[in-house]
Amino acid sequence: MRGHRDLRWVCLAAIVAALVAALVPWEVVRLLAALPLAVFLPGYAITAAAFGSQRLDPQRLAMLVLLCGLSLLCLGGLVLNYLPGGLRTVTWALLLVLAVFAAARGAAVRRGKPDGRGSGWTRPRLRGFDVACVALAAAVTAGALVFAYTPLPASKAVGSTALWMLPAEDAATSAVDVGVISAEQGPQRYRLEVQVGEEGPLRRYRLALDPGEERVFEVPLEIPSGKKARVVASLYDSERPHELYRRVTTWTTGSPPGEG
Amino acid sequence: MSSRDSRAPGRRQRLLATGPSPLALIVLGAAVGLLLCAYANALSREGGDPTQLVYWAGVLLVVVPIAARIGMEDVSLRERFALAALFALSLYAIKVIRDPFLFTFPDEPIHAYNANQAMLHHGLFNGNPILPVTSGYPGLASATSALMSLTGMSSFGAGVILIGLARLLLVLALFVLFTRVSGSHRLAGLAVVIYAGSSNFLYWGVQYSYESLSLPLLVAVLAALAEREAAGPRLARSWAAPIVLGTMAVVVTHHLTSYALVIVLALLAVIYRLVRSPKPNPWPFAVFAAVLAAGWLLVAAPNTVDYLSPVLSGAVTSIWNTIFGASKARGLFQSPSSAVVYETPFLARLITLAAVGLLLLGYLAGFREAWGRRAKRPFVVLFCLGGAAFFATLALRLAPEAWETGNRAGMYLFIGLAFVVAHAVLRLMRAGPRLLLRRAALLACIAVVVVGGAIAGWPWDSQLAQPTRITAGGTELESEPITLARWIGERLPGGKFAAADADARMILAPGEARAKTGDALAIKTILPETSLSNWELPSLRGNGLGYIVADRRKVATDPGRGSFFYVPGSEGDALLPRAAMRKFGERRLGRTYDSGNIVVFDLRDRP
Repeated sequence: MRGHRDLRWVCLAAIVAALVAALVPWEVVRLLAALPLAVFLPGYAITAAAFGSQRLDPQRLAMLVLLCGLSLLCLGGLVLNYLPGGLRTVTWALLLVLAVFAAARGAAVRRGKPDGRGSGWTRPRLRGFDVACVALAAAVTAGALVFAYTPLPASKAVGSTALWMLPAEDAATSAVDVGVISAEQGPQRYRLEVQVGEEGPLRRYRLALDPGEERVFEVPLEIPSGKKARVVASLYDSERPHELYRRVTTWTTGSPPGEG
Repeated sequence: MSSRDSRAPGRRQRLLATGPSPLALIVLGAAVGLLLCAYANALSREGGDPTQLVYWAGVLLVVVPIAARIGMEDVSLRERFALAALFALSLYAIKVIRDPFLFTFPDEPIHAYNANQAMLHHGLFNGNPILPVTSGYPGLASATSALMSLTGMSSFGAGVILIGLARLLLVLALFVLFTRVSGSHRLAGLAVVIYAGSSNFLYWGVQYSYESLSLPLLVAVLAALAEREAAGPRLARSWAAPIVLGTMAVVVTHHLTSYALVIVLALLAVIYRLVRSPKPNPWPFAVFAAVLAAGWLLVAAPNTVDYLSPVLSGAVTSIWNTIFGASKARGLFQSPSSAVVYETPFLARLITLAAVGLLLLGYLAGFREAWGRRAKRPFVVLFCLGGAAFFATLALRLAPEAWETGNRAGMYLFIGLAFVVAHAVLRLMRAGPRLLLRRAALLACIAVVVVGGAIAGWPWDSQLAQPTRITAGGTELESEPITLARWIGERLPGGKFAAADADARMILAPGEARAKTGDALAIKTILPETSLSNWELPSLRGNGLGYIVADRRKVATDPGRGSFFYVPGSEGDALLPRAAMRKFGERRLGRTYDSGNIVVFDLRDRP
């Protein structure tokens, strides 16, 4: 690739981008490296390999870079799917770097000796007013995106409270986890009642939840071994304490002592 | 010329030389347009009652200045190209602004699930419980997984970037294609803007879905083919490489697009022969695409036949029945979902119908001029045929089972239509008397075509965002179905669910669990009925499902609307009778989760 400055830069950029994408923990930095590595660098290298010493105008070059880059991404997964390791950060990075190197090498061979001609691309002249306008446009666009990505209050939207029950995962004895999730618009107070079997004791819990908060209770089950019982968890809203608000149930069989 | 007249252009020249360039001002205008769209969407998400005028003003602020500038005579190729790119990205940003938090369009969670599964299993072809055919076309999942792996982003973030690049490719490829075929970059710019009048351009065509990636690839392959035709023998070989690469990518990404590519290439081969074109006939590419598409169908995605045959045969039957009166014609501007009845305002209907009328006029006016180029450019014949076929597909919108086929075909056929109509627009923009007035009228017509297309392609009540995530008490809250999906992702990730359309999609992504819906296992029937037949629950259990998600909201059957917050008084606030939920309790199934409108029953938890 000696003498082909663009191809050398493309290969160098691919290596740097692959290292950044694989090693840096910050998403934004990785994105800045990953986009060229995934689309633009392979697209450019493949286009260069296809066209050799022929010069393309910026319009056709831009289209071909996107076409080849996106096509490689669609097809690359198929290649990795049948290789050891599959689709992972390292394998994708390796595949793309290899694709860039192979295509750049092919381009260098097809181009032959450098002819000393420039790229033919002239940088557009920017005037102060233009820069100011584009900077202002960027600021307005950023504002629009921040505005869009900021959740807003919605007074008419109805919030919800969820009650759930699942077998406790880490309990030493037989137990269920009963959870209450508040997605209500304001703080809520609840009464939770859990009954194990028809004659079992009634356990009562009082709780207050802020919007977005969740509480989980581990409720031990004392069911005779081999006997099946229904566990019923009922939730009452403190504003309507006698009206059932949510209910979950499960059937569970008592296990021998020691088998929690 | 009077002295006053001679001074005026001089002052104008000086102003133009010292002030910002038109391109910079247009960039600023597009940014302000986006801000207006963001404002209208924010008001809508807030649950207010925003006038859609603000939103449409934002859209027009993007479209009209670009259309005005791109159609001017003394604009360089480079500037027109930049305008086309700006046009693509600005209109795409409107969709991103509408759905900034997660995928809510009907097909998006299905494909997000495929991408998430590719990441989870480090491989492709993992199956999809709602749309199994998508798993056989892993191009989109492959590309998304690359971005996810390399950036650490979610499928949502990676998908938004990927579809943005695809949209950019679509518009740039259209520009290159139209420039090559017409020989005029001015006409190409106008045709690109007119293409935005396709009913799927603003929203459907940029959802995170396999067709949103494959269509731009197809157009880029056609552009490369047109370039190859114009190139000398040495360069022609160079163009073959991107054509082959693009064709392969289309075949592994989307079934219908790959068949459309085969048809287009075969048609081109025939046209080349008929017009006795001296240019190289593209038949080898048609054969290559056909062999590849057929091979892929047989080897990797044999279930495509099961997926497509009911859709296509249903469309044919529906057309037949509608023509011969066996079934009622579908009303225009109606939701395909029975859960939501919305009203499209009279003015919006008028604009849509006017857009179709203007396109027809434009086609008739531009046809002669475009057709005149057919001997030199066989692509012109294809475009003229495509434009005529577009109007034929409009009739399909009247057949209940065929409207979607017609709507989807429109995305492809509109390419030809835009090309022909641009000839008419360019003719009317040529120098002559009342040029300014003609230009203003044409810009108004282009605005009507773009807005009318957007209204035709997306329900009126869904043009603006609905709340999926809100703030309350300084905390972010998500809607009931999304809260359920996240709970499932955290607590029951290995669960298999039967659910209504919208809930099932949320369970797939962001829930990342498996869910079946719709006609599969009669779930569509079981959920709303008020009593159960004896075979229904055993059938669900027998097919490996562990849970059934009962949702009282009728809108839950609408995949485009069912994931939002419940807003009483809105179009989608109707509820199923309580008996629809009680019927599961009567079978004494365990109730695992209860959030009021949504209850999850455990199919294996019983006495």
